Amino acid sequence: MSPKKQKEAIYTRHGSSRLAELAKALAEIMNPEGKAEVMDDLLILDASYANFAGIIAASLFAEFGAEVIKIEPPEGDPARFMTPFGVHVKGTGIPFIMEARNKRYMTLDLKNNNQDRAIFDKLSRKAAVVIETFPPGDMDAWGIGYRQLSEKNPSLVYIAITPYGQYTEQARKFARMPDADITSQAGSGLPAQMGDVADKGEPYNWPLRAGMWAGWYISGLSATLGATVALFHRQNTGKGQMVDVATMDAYSSMVGIPASIGCTWGKARPRIGVLDFILYPYGHWKCKDGYVAIAAPRDHDFRALLKILKLWEIEDDWRYSSDRIPDILEQATHLHKLIEKETVKYTADELVGMALNYSKKSARSKWRGGGVPIVMRLMTPETAMENKQWHIRKTFQEFHDDALGKFTISANFVKMSESPPRVKWVSCEIGKDNEYVRDKYIKE
Amino acid sequence: MEDYFSYTEKLFAPAEANQKPEALKGIRVLDFSHVIFGPVAARILADYGAEVIKLELPFFGDLWRPATYWGKYWKHSNPIWHNITKNKYFLSVNLKLEKSKELIYKMAETADVVIENFAPGTAETWKIGYTQISKINPRIIFLSCSTYGQYGPMRFFPGWDLLAQAASGVLSLNGYPDTDKFYKLPDYLGDFVPGNFGALSIMMALYYRKKTGKGQYIDLAQSEALMRLLFNYTYHSVTGGAIGRTGNVDPTMVPAAIFKTADEKHVALACTTHEQFKSLLNAMGKENLLGDDRFTNNFERLKPENAKFLNNIVADWVKNKTCAEIIEIAVIASFPAAEVVDDYMICHDKWRRARGSVVLFKDDMYGELVIAGPSAQLSGTPSRTKWLARPLGYHNRIVLKKFLGMSEEEIKSLEKKKVIGTFDDRPGLKPPVYYNLNEDTICNYGKEVCK
Repeated sequence: MSPKKQKEAIYTRHGSSRLAELAKALAEIMNPEGKAEVMDDLLILDASYANFAGIIAASLFAEFGAEVIKIEPPEGDPARFMTPFGVHVKGTGIPFIMEARNKRYMTLDLKNNNQDRAIFDKLSRKAAVVIETFPPGDMDAWGIGYRQLSEKNPSLVYIAITPYGQYTEQARKFARMPDADITSQAGSGLPAQMGDVADKGEPYNWPLRAGMWAGWYISGLSATLGATVALFHRQNTGKGQMVDVATMDAYSSMVGIPASIGCTWGKARPRIGVLDFILYPYGHWKCKDGYVAIAAPRDHDFRALLKILKLWEIEDDWRYSSDRIPDILEQATHLHKLIEKETVKYTADELVGMALNYSKKSARSKWRGGGVPIVMRLMTPETAMENKQWHIRKTFQEFHDDALGKFTISANFVKMSESPPRVKWVSCEIGKDNEYVRDKYIKE
Repeated sequence: MEDYFSYTEKLFAPAEANQKPEALKGIRVLDFSHVIFGPVAARILADYGAEVIKLELPFFGDLWRPATYWGKYWKHSNPIWHNITKNKYFLSVNLKLEKSKELIYKMAETADVVIENFAPGTAETWKIGYTQISKINPRIIFLSCSTYGQYGPMRFFPGWDLLAQAASGVLSLNGYPDTDKFYKLPDYLGDFVPGNFGALSIMMALYYRKKTGKGQYIDLAQSEALMRLLFNYTYHSVTGGAIGRTGNVDPTMVPAAIFKTADEKHVALACTTHEQFKSLLNAMGKENLLGDDRFTNNFERLKPENAKFLNNIVADWVKNKTCAEIIEIAVIASFPAAEVVDDYMICHDKWRRARGSVVLFKDDMYGELVIAGPSAQLSGTPSRTKWLARPLGYHNRIVLKKFLGMSEEEIKSLEKKKVIGTFDDRPGLKPPVYYNLNEDTICNYGKEVCK
């Protein structure tokens, strides 16, 4: 076998013929082309400003087929200019291109122009959802807040995304503070859980930012999820409502763990570097040609891992999961190093192959206590794109846009047999659909 | 006109949230899933009023029941488990027996949604997969959760949140450049975020079913859900390079980083627009930088050498101020800033309690526990907590009686044949030691018992 074939063989597993047939049929069934779109009868106005949480929420609706009109001032939403290292394509930043999917682009200056507000007001009577991220109370003061719009359109679902939400004294006090991803991460408790242990020196022992827009993506997803529940209620009763997202809740409300730990422990967790609070081994290790992720936390998984790595003689000391959790940090770090000493002897492919061969045998054995140690090559986003699995599943989609050139985005995040999400176009010039919107929704 | 914030206070009225209608009332969910990914999707539906029946194996239960932080239990239960599986009915059925399958098929007749996250192919092999359930109930919405998806050459690979983080590349992004110091996203975020995507796709399918009457099959891979959150792929396709790790600096805005204050706290500070940048420079007394060619627009400012220069200036400024001072200035000058908060602060922040995003919940079995509320507050049909997690098999009798119309004798005979079962002595599975199940109404077929 050629090296490439060999590699593919490691990362391919076969089931029974019935299951293989089923998978083949599934790949056919899950093709989104020609399928119905869930929200093709809904108009959604996205008036978010300098805030990607709103843009992301709108994108998710657009992927499920809603007509989404992105509303921005004539000079463009400042979100267009947020981009890694200033890289842009003809004045549009990378994140904006990635989230441009399936939207209409219209210019209205809601901040300063009364006439534009009147147009927005008119549009909103036909809309199912409005999304906005202005300081709480601003839209209301302009006469186009939930209070006014819902009077004329009682079935409107109105999403507002701000750091501290639309009610409580805190929201009032912090009304003028704008939103950013890093403040949403910090204010909702994510960085406090990441970073090295206390004695590793600054800045490595500081709270660490997640290397992605965790705050904004979680907030956007929460907004769309909440609003879809509201749309389901609207479908049943005809009633609209307000959906209020506070980005300072993003992480803590998503995982729920900080609140309950703070209550039952009466103190905060320390940062424990690459270790995990519950599971061990559960993390990444160095190997000959990079890194591998290893998860073998159950006792029988762990025993299997020791056998594979030829570390069986230490089994007695680390037999139970309670021996391995890092409440005594030195102890857990010691075990971590013992494992690392072995993993660096092999390449990632070798380790993956060893673990898989073991798992296959233990799955076939009559006695199922053999354990399933999971070892996988650690990918970077760039190497992840090469994986055959995602080619077959059409996870990445390449676009060739007249204005923006050629680029790839991650799409098709869930496969649905009847009404899947999809990306149809990505062009996003400022005001490109002004006429389209006027003809379709404003002229009468 | 009434003041905006008193209008919204009345609109949301967090104290009366429990009296408002539930959006998903009457939706029945069979939750075959375990650990976090699937159970979270089901819990969100339960929070909005769906009846979620969680199936577990007798005497074994969900793998995650005993898995608690540093092995610390709370009243013999796992405190974080209460956030993952509250508001559900806990039914414990021995799937190995034919009789149990009959029970499941019977329940599937009236169910709207099924959620499972076994290794792909397992549900089919056990005859509780989509092909079998959809024959009984063609309107069913069936969500299969996995790490790599239900088709493709890697589908049989087992996975956890960690493996999805490794497969999507997000694990390699959290840390410092040019070092081997990088970390996985904490608290199994790679399960929670895809779980929310799962709930979203079920809601979409429910919406579609209401319009057309059609159910459907949903294949959600947690790696793909995480990939939806990254623009690194797009960046790579445009530049050929990689964003990589940038430590505590957000490379998409300037300045944007986590800084240390004079009182040894950490504060995140950012400027998303040019206006905010100007007001920050004013606040720092560095207006002179505005005329500098390097800082005239976002794209120029974002160039790595310029960004570094500005972030260093801000770091020096922050280091001589207390955290409270920085926040105060940020509110007045209108740029984003927030203290890095930890577990204890999140639990005790007054505004979170007032908002309902952190809740002190009084449970019939466990007493008081602080749990998280939703980040999206709905004014008309808010999410709510009705009860916390329950011991294994706690709802066996009431579920069979209420949902399947079985008599007490029939249920007793199922118990005798070990078709349904409960907990053993392990923490996480059993009730708190002070709690007497014999006096519990729900355990007694819904009848009041004299205590």
